[in-house]
Amino acid sequence: MEEFGIAAGQRVAVVWDGSSPVGALKRLVDSVRASVGADGRVAVENVNQLPRSAHKESSFDVILSGVVPGSAAQHSAEVLAEIARILKPGGRVLLKEPVVTESDNNSGIKTAAKLPAALTLSGLVEVKELQKEPLTAEEAQSVREHLGYQGNDLLIVQIEGRKPNFEVGSSSQLKLSFAKKTSPSGKPSVDPATAKLWTLSASDMNDEEMDLLDSDELLDSEDLKKPDPASLRAPSCKEKGKKKACKNCTCGLAEELEQEKKSSQPRSACGNCYLGDAFRCATWREDPAKREPAA
Amino acid sequence: MGVPGPLMTERRLLILFGSQTGTAQDTAERIGREAKRRHFQCRVEALDSYDVANLINELLVVFVCATTGQGDPPDNMKMFWRFLFRKNLPPTSLCQMDYAVLGLGDSSYPKFNFIAKKLHKRVLQLGGNPLLPVALGDDQHDLGPDAVVDPWLLALWDKILALYPLPPGLEVISPDVRLPPRYTLHYLAEDSLHSDSSLLQPTPARALPSELHPFAARMVSNQRVTAESHFQDVRLIEFDVTGSGITFSAGDVVMIQPQNCPEDVQQFCQLLRLDPDKCFLLKPTEPGTALPAHLLQPCTIRHLVTHYLDISCVPRRSFFELLSHFSTNELEREKLQEFSSAQGQEELYSYCNRPRRTTLEALWDFPHTTSAIPPEYLLDLIPRIRPRAFSIASSMLVHPGRIQILVAVVRYKTRLSRPRRGLCSTWLASLNPEQGDVRVPLWVKKGGMKFPADPDTPVIMIGPGTGVAPFRAAIQERVAQGQKGNCLFFGCRQKSKDFYCQAEWEELVTKGFLMLFTAFSRDQEEKVYVQHRIRENGRLLWELLNGQGAHIYLSGNAKQMPAAVAEALQSVLQLEGGLSPSEAEEYLSALERSQRFQSETWS
Repeated sequence: MEEFGIAAGQRVAVVWDGSSPVGALKRLVDSVRASVGADGRVAVENVNQLPRSAHKESSFDVILSGVVPGSAAQHSAEVLAEIARILKPGGRVLLKEPVVTESDNNSGIKTAAKLPAALTLSGLVEVKELQKEPLTAEEAQSVREHLGYQGNDLLIVQIEGRKPNFEVGSSSQLKLSFAKKTSPSGKPSVDPATAKLWTLSASDMNDEEMDLLDSDELLDSEDLKKPDPASLRAPSCKEKGKKKACKNCTCGLAEELEQEKKSSQPRSACGNCYLGDAFRCATWREDPAKREPAA
Repeated sequence: MGVPGPLMTERRLLILFGSQTGTAQDTAERIGREAKRRHFQCRVEALDSYDVANLINELLVVFVCATTGQGDPPDNMKMFWRFLFRKNLPPTSLCQMDYAVLGLGDSSYPKFNFIAKKLHKRVLQLGGNPLLPVALGDDQHDLGPDAVVDPWLLALWDKILALYPLPPGLEVISPDVRLPPRYTLHYLAEDSLHSDSSLLQPTPARALPSELHPFAARMVSNQRVTAESHFQDVRLIEFDVTGSGITFSAGDVVMIQPQNCPEDVQQFCQLLRLDPDKCFLLKPTEPGTALPAHLLQPCTIRHLVTHYLDISCVPRRSFFELLSHFSTNELEREKLQEFSSAQGQEELYSYCNRPRRTTLEALWDFPHTTSAIPPEYLLDLIPRIRPRAFSIASSMLVHPGRIQILVAVVRYKTRLSRPRRGLCSTWLASLNPEQGDVRVPLWVKKGGMKFPADPDTPVIMIGPGTGVAPFRAAIQERVAQGQKGNCLFFGCRQKSKDFYCQAEWEELVTKGFLMLFTAFSRDQEEKVYVQHRIRENGRLLWELLNGQGAHIYLSGNAKQMPAAVAEALQSVLQLEGGLSPSEAEEYLSALERSQRFQSETWS
């Protein structure tokens, strides 16, 4: 079908809901089947069943949803995320959904601005509104029946999006080897075929075309944690060994400390004031008042 | 009779590092010295200098890797990093390897030590056997990365010596014993070199300028763009790069190799009793050690001290450790040993790191020791001057054959009486192209920010202060191509004092090429920043982002601005887009993942 840009050999999913007239749906599916031909594949899914069908990820080139004339399908965040998951990287989704133009309504229908946002939130890129039209009488009737909305400010929006070309959140099996070695002399030797592959790969360090793993995949939740701030503090040497008396001291320590304070006079702890900065003690460094003049 | 240990030929350790500012390299070299004291034959190399084809044959490897930028590998391990993650590497490749990974990072960044964490797991995946869990050094610790490195090293040697026990009759060489220098220095006869061999050698034909072969760019102009009465001196500097083969686009970065000022060079030579005009050659002490790649030979002492030795850097613990070996004065030696010990690290931080004391200033405090430093140890003692990166602030389409940059001259006070100065910014500010031919060694590097290829995609740029530099380049480039979707949020202190580029921006606004929102933080009673302007213009931002697929860019200081801007953006998404707080957060993350939200911030 030229209208939807479907080519032969593609894998397409057609998603519908209860509001799609059966006859129109069948005609659409037949038309898509004809377009993809013998080498292609067409899957037909109810929008509410889609998450449960658990299609293989990255398996569809194109997904059409709510495009049956007369449809008033809505796409929840869950459905959009599922669409993004099962689309191939670079694959395209084309959907139609009714929107309200006045905000602050409780109908559960998205506002015109919220629809593109919803697609972006689900990880789709190149989100573009293709068409915005008032509803046909048939569609308006459908909305009233299926969504229970009576207002007159509806538009039907045709919007498309793409899955990014890099695999976001794709998964592949990671083999973590836990083979134990007991002594240097007991080391396994490298398999010659393995060695050859490694050496061959290393012979071309500048190859930009090489397929790379996503290094972010190696990290787990433990790796994302930050150190506890308390663990970053060093105990200050000034605080070590300092005695402090309690407020209502009854053991006589408070008086002892008072006596010490009265009798101590500022004096250089080390007698090294005349030497360079490196030799001055902590007292000199922290308290300019206690510095003796250089000799 | 003990268990016979492995032969000396089997006591080999390979230390591979990825270092951006030199800390990882310094740590790798420390591990190398400790290995030598334990009678290991040791190689210490940058990952990209090592022939990775040999990695499958290595039995014992220690990796020391910093994480830089936005969770990225340092420049000297980027090639290795791309190789390591190739899907076609067989999973048992490194089955002969016992390894350990030490990471250096900063936990105030979200991707804390991501490189070390990923490296540890990938080597495991490729069949390696880890000796220890990955160690994560942290700049945020009061005592810096050493708080993690010191205990980790003790554990590492325990494990390694268990696998490779010392041969009978051999002990660990005491830390009091001085190790030989990496190079020996041979002075040449007086007349063997008639001119100072320049760092600026001609680039081999048809090769692009690089770190090893910088381009000697002529400085064309050096203008102050902040008012004289403003506290900060900011310069717009232009270089002529015609004939260099250099090309770049907006978002790219120019690397500049600075040098020490003549006064400091003279003082250093006096303290060490060196004759600056003497010429010398270096020879490696151990066969197989490469000569320093960035130092052309033969050269003069003056050249070494001016262009190579970083005498204005804050000395590290390894500096004091090595210095203690030359001391003839007991008082000085004791203090130096104290600064080298684990217990003395707090004292060292108080003496050196907190006030940002320079190597030259520290040498001044140890006069007896300094005058006894043998010149051949200079390259072990003092690290190489590292190049500085500046976002290119101009477009080749508007100024062909030229590179312009915005430089804020770094100058601040600590408790030391002399103010602290940025080496590169101070040097650039001192150069006057009107007084003669001024040349600066530079080369260009790809930047992190990429602007959209589609001409219809609008861009939103948020760049307070000198963060605006890459956006000046982007705007020049886009305007030259007729693209009008340009929205800039610029913040500074006062309209009359540091609103650089005011005339350029205002002209573009008049012509309809630029939407400009300014925030002058000190022009009124209450502070106004870019994040306030973002909130005020939420509707426009929402329309650009959601309706027109705009890209957003953030550039500037890493401390508080990025978080404040992210908060403001999320608030816009919630108010204008009707998103819930968690949806707004997810929307921004989705933008980041699809590279529609890019940031380059620095601290």
